[in-house]
Amino acid sequence: MMSSIMRESHIMKIHYLTALVAVGFVIIHIMVRVMQGFSDSLEFENVIANYKSIPYAVVLEAMLILISVHGFNGLRVILLELKQGNAYENAVTYGCLAAMIALIAYGSRTIIMASMGMV
Amino acid sequence: MEKDRKEGIRGMANPGRYGIERVAYWLMRITGLGLLVYFIGHIYETSSLLDGKAAWNSMLELTQTTEGHIFLALVIGMCVFHTGNGIRLMIAEAGFGFGKARRPDYPYTPSSLNMKNKLCIYVSIGLAALAMMYGLGVMYDV
Repeated sequence: MMSSIMRESHIMKIHYLTALVAVGFVIIHIMVRVMQGFSDSLEFENVIANYKSIPYAVVLEAMLILISVHGFNGLRVILLELKQGNAYENAVTYGCLAAMIALIAYGSRTIIMASMGMV
Repeated sequence: MEKDRKEGIRGMANPGRYGIERVAYWLMRITGLGLLVYFIGHIYETSSLLDGKAAWNSMLELTQTTEGHIFLALVIGMCVFHTGNGIRLMIAEAGFGFGKARRPDYPYTPSSLNMKNKLCIYVSIGLAALAMMYGLGVMYDV
């Protein structure tokens, strides 16, 4: 169980903190899209230029980590509300943790390769 | 009461019986799951960048349709409601907005389910609707 690794109250503090910080980053992300003109900002060259800007790439990576942690912990909480039991709770907790790590790794691959010009 | 117990999980899940708070409970979970699915899809969508301009453009074509724009508007709405209601829940969990503890007298109205919280839920839904309209305006260059 996650609670044997970390207290549930601490996990919920992380859940709320990641939400609040992610909201700030999402606002930056949306403002960049809107300020460039929504359609223009989605042009291939503009998107690559966004990734090559190191501060923006850092924002994207931070957003990826924060939303993944928040999202998969939220999924874990919903699944634990439905059913309880040691084996089930362990499966849900470690399954969500594995999915979170996989998504962060996959998203980071895109950010790192695009920002290094490996496109 | 007897009927409540017989209904089991279905009775607990009934959004029509317990007012707007139960509706907010379900909307919070549905929007959360919807946003997680969108987020995973968004990560996959942006990874097409690595396959070059043609792959990116063909992936982008999926979202540059009327259905794609409606889907994105729904994502905006889900995001705004989830944020607004989430902030309400954080404030409530910190112990604010519940009213003072008092002796339970008939008709046993819980002080925690008060107008402040109800208003926040309605405001979150209203803001989500406004954000969806603004988002559609941006996507259609209105």
